[in-house]
Amino acid sequence: MDYKIIAEKVVKKALKLGVDEAEAYLQNSREFELNIRKGEVETIKQATSKGIGLTVYKDKKLGFSYTSDFSSDSLDEFVKRTVDLSLVSDAKSWNGLPDFEKREQKDLDLWDPSISKIENSKKIAIAKKVEKIALSFDKRITNSEGGFYGDSDTEIIIVNSKDISRKIKGSGVYFGTGVIAGEGNNMQSGWWSSAKTHFKDLDNIEEVAKKAGQRAVEKLGAKPVKTQKVPLVLDRYAAPSFWYGILFAINGDSVFKKTTFLTDYLVKPIASKLITIIDDPTIARHIASRPFDGEGKITRKNTLIKEGILKMFIYDSLTARKAGVKVNTMARRSGYKNLPYGRFINVIVQNGKTKREKIISGIKEGFLVKGLRGFGTDIPTGNFSVGASGFWIKNGEIAFPVDGVTLGGNTLEILKNIEAVADDLDLRGSLNSPSFKVAEIAVGGKK
Amino acid sequence: MKKRYLKPINRREFIKKSMAGGVVVATLPLWNLYSGNLLTEEHSVSFGFNLDREILEKILEIALQNGGEFAEVYAEYTINNGISLEEDKIHSASRGADMGVGIRVLHGEKTGYAHCDDLNIGKLKETAKVAGLIASGKARQKEFDLQQEKIPSYYMAKVSPESIVAQEKAKLLWKANSIARAVDKRISQVNVGFGDMNKKIIIANSEGAWVEDKQTITRLVVFVNAIDKEKRSRGYSYKGGTLGYEHYSLKIAEEIAKDACRMALAMLPAEDAPAGEYPIIMAKGHCGTFFHEAIGHSLEGDGARKKTTCFWDSKGEIIASEIVSLADDGTVPGKRGTINIDDEGTPGQKTILIEKGRCKGFLYDKLNAKLMKVKSTGNGRRQSYQHYPIPRMTNTFLMAGQDNPEDIVKSIKHGIYISRIGGGNVTPTTGRFVFSVPEGYLIEEGKITKPLKGIQLMGNGPDVLKNITMVGHDLEIWGGGTCGKDGQSKPVSDGNPTLKVSKITIGGAKIRRG
Repeated sequence: MDYKIIAEKVVKKALKLGVDEAEAYLQNSREFELNIRKGEVETIKQATSKGIGLTVYKDKKLGFSYTSDFSSDSLDEFVKRTVDLSLVSDAKSWNGLPDFEKREQKDLDLWDPSISKIENSKKIAIAKKVEKIALSFDKRITNSEGGFYGDSDTEIIIVNSKDISRKIKGSGVYFGTGVIAGEGNNMQSGWWSSAKTHFKDLDNIEEVAKKAGQRAVEKLGAKPVKTQKVPLVLDRYAAPSFWYGILFAINGDSVFKKTTFLTDYLVKPIASKLITIIDDPTIARHIASRPFDGEGKITRKNTLIKEGILKMFIYDSLTARKAGVKVNTMARRSGYKNLPYGRFINVIVQNGKTKREKIISGIKEGFLVKGLRGFGTDIPTGNFSVGASGFWIKNGEIAFPVDGVTLGGNTLEILKNIEAVADDLDLRGSLNSPSFKVAEIAVGGKK
Repeated sequence: MKKRYLKPINRREFIKKSMAGGVVVATLPLWNLYSGNLLTEEHSVSFGFNLDREILEKILEIALQNGGEFAEVYAEYTINNGISLEEDKIHSASRGADMGVGIRVLHGEKTGYAHCDDLNIGKLKETAKVAGLIASGKARQKEFDLQQEKIPSYYMAKVSPESIVAQEKAKLLWKANSIARAVDKRISQVNVGFGDMNKKIIIANSEGAWVEDKQTITRLVVFVNAIDKEKRSRGYSYKGGTLGYEHYSLKIAEEIAKDACRMALAMLPAEDAPAGEYPIIMAKGHCGTFFHEAIGHSLEGDGARKKTTCFWDSKGEIIASEIVSLADDGTVPGKRGTINIDDEGTPGQKTILIEKGRCKGFLYDKLNAKLMKVKSTGNGRRQSYQHYPIPRMTNTFLMAGQDNPEDIVKSIKHGIYISRIGGGNVTPTTGRFVFSVPEGYLIEEGKITKPLKGIQLMGNGPDVLKNITMVGHDLEIWGGGTCGKDGQSKPVSDGNPTLKVSKITIGGAKIRRG
């Protein structure tokens, strides 16, 4: 079925009912999900789903509805109800569809048509193999959380009354495993996975399995340390959780409402000169890339922080219009059930020049953090507080595993105290960072 | 734990990713306004959502044609309504409809699952066939006769929120907004939302069960921000549950708005929390999330069967101090986690998890119960027709003790008072947790004194259970939130009496020297 026709019909119907502007966002997907445990298939899930979200503006008033029921009577009713809802909300001068530039949609090679043709037996074999290798990685591995594999094809269509008509088909494929090391009160789990747009880009099965095994075993015997201040190295795979708070704090809507501690910091230094952060959804074949954003605007590369200076806040079109700023907007959409909102799309903290080993070997006593628990940065105040696990560094070497401690401080101080950035960036998802070192941080543990 | 890529990553997904899996991410009590739900009879008819006995039996037969041992149909029609107010304006009014059917086939330890969003009989048959492929063998004879079952109701819903027009709900929002803005000029932002979820489900299985349920979940929530020079703070409050619209009024809106402002203003002068080990008090009603996350998840039957949680072999053992009893109860009237039936059709029930310090058992769905040779405890729950059921909590609470709440506070010389517990997460394998504390105070010489910001509670569940030294007689179950597990969100509630934990690690910005 050509879903673009449905999207177009819905928009036309809304206009006919007297709205000033309308936009349909349609999503249609196929998914496959498989779990293996101890060499046996545990679950197989296969499904197709679809849904449409309709946004209308009438006299600058917003109405929004979604439905997964595409029968034509229901769709007529759906459009009518959406138009009715717009009467309930208040007019806002900034309400309305985004302004569009004339730009062509690029082919980012996000769809691998071969994925949907892979036999289930091959998928089962991958999930079994990754679990098996992880289980045999080390004698101390005692149990399995299973091996998994999944893939999906997703089609997104955006049609609106400003003659914008976009369509993208993307695929995703992933596999991984989780294992448990140790026994009784000394159990630790280790997980690892690989996710790509194309099947043949997936990481090697052995590597993924060994990494999961390694991550479980290396934590065995982890213990808290005493409360103290030490240098910190944040591992590249734990770092995104830290950056997430910063990216939330530069959300344009929070800035407009003055509910973030970074409200007054535009074009001011907020971090060490070593820090440059971009949002780049245009990288070909990357799992977090998008040719157009949640509003249908063609994406581009944006610099958020350049050498420590905050260069821009993150806006969707409506918020930018409300705040009276002209910027490249970044709008996300978490599916057809939601309206778009300003949010980074694919953030990359730029690589530094230092080798990670060199950063660690230069620390007399410090904390290499491999996992953060909790959200970290409190957006209104910038207070930073989070649970952490990892390894204690002594005389430039890894000494023992640590867990059950907290990190605390002020986010701005931590950012400014970044002394070194490693060159170990690994593009894995929508938020990517190399490892980095903070000169000093408060570690809360035993008295 | 299982990620679906090519879908935007929300905050929870992100935290999961960053922890590289294996983590149950905590109840985020506030950030989804629109997850209420119910269908009145006339609506269910007007949407033409029905599956008769003949169709259900046919689907089950097809699902078993490859020799599966058990087949189940779960059909759902959900209407979500939401309305929100911010910056002195009704921001949006929205409505959503989800309709679909999930078909599950069990064969030994294996689950085959398929779903479709179409009630077309051809599509349903095809979906049943795909789910049945998990088994390989000869078709089984049809040996069931669907019998429709009647069930008691624990919901407190007389007036369906579906029958109330958005303009009427908007009055609650306006009332809360004007009250909050009048409280104090330091209140700088007010956001108010009302959401209702109206769901009809039909479940039928090859054991002959056939049951329907109509669920209504509503919530009115107020968030405020306060600013005083350089200082900023937040406050929130809400009312919600399996409640009809008759439970909301302008008076309720006013109370919630005032409570949210009270919290923000109280926290405005807050100082950095000290880091280190302290005795703490958890305030009644508002700290149940802790027990849900740090203890409850480790007592779910899937982890117990797979031996992956810290309590998997603890049944019959002492795992807590003898004043600690913990229960999960889907039948507490009107709460957010209340269920007449779970999402496998098993009636909601009360399960004692810990009795006087002793572990009594786990929460089960059908599959894990069967494999462990016990009965389902009515905890097989799923987010929607797109998900297969897994063991989940409903309303989880620490049971009332003997102590006088005032005596509990007086017993602490220097410690921390936790008024409200926020989001957090826990690794079930180790029981390790971290929770943020949006409202907390210092206790000095038995008195609650200064407000503290940036408190993080951390430790592991088993240790905390042993360190509970006083439990009040004032059990309260508050509004509740939405719990995430294995990528599925589900409404839950939790509660606790005032209680004392003799020592727990506090992560905070301030380090005490010496």
